[in-house]
Amino acid sequence: MTEDQQKFALHLINNPPPGSELAKAREYGVDLTLFISTLRRSPTERARCLSEGARIFQIAKQPHLSEK
Amino acid sequence: MKPEETIRILYDAGVEFVVIDGAAMALQGSAHLTKDIDFCYARTPKNMERLAKALEPFHPILRGAPPGLPFRSDSKAIANGLNFTLSTDLGDLDFLGEVSGLGSFQDVLGASDVKDVGGVDCRVLSLEGLIKSKIAAGRPRDLYVLPELRGLNEFKKKTGLE
Repeated sequence: MTEDQQKFALHLINNPPPGSELAKAREYGVDLTLFISTLRRSPTERARCLSEGARIFQIAKQPHLSEK
Repeated sequence: MKPEETIRILYDAGVEFVVIDGAAMALQGSAHLTKDIDFCYARTPKNMERLAKALEPFHPILRGAPPGLPFRSDSKAIANGLNFTLSTDLGDLDFLGEVSGLGSFQDVLGASDVKDVGGVDCRVLSLEGLIKSKIAAGRPRDLYVLPELRGLNEFKKKTGLE
């Protein structure tokens, strides 16, 4: 991501045009800043994050943790 | 779950597939998490044979089926079914012959992008394709992610980020 792209992306998520899908998503509760952090990663890195997320989810689901 | 490894295994086996659903969302840049990886696969005899062969070493069983229910992961079993939800040594993998809102493999392929995942050119359902399939599926959990998908799609188009 270039510096200009990052500036524009930040401007867009801070000021989504009224009526846009971005504005609707923000109103719905979507954290738009996550778009920048995920798109900074390559698809391979995203696949690794998915794997890590699933691993943490699995740990959190273990009964001895859920009971606490 | 091992998305990178699973994609590599299917690719090396010559399986024709498209990553769909939650894993496709993540590969397209959504922060969505999922417990399984879903694929749409081509239902040609050759592809079903390759798929069965690729999965065999990873001990696939039907997920949620009663213990002891016999399941042989071979091309005949795949040909006799359409959608398979499997537990494997690679994690939970779902293989769908069709995707709601899109259709069969060729339609899904037409609605996919190529992403480099671990050095493999992998077909991943596009955001437009994901939006279509989620609307068609229509379950609360599908509709729940629509605002994020639409917002992300617009964001990528306006910024040129991929």
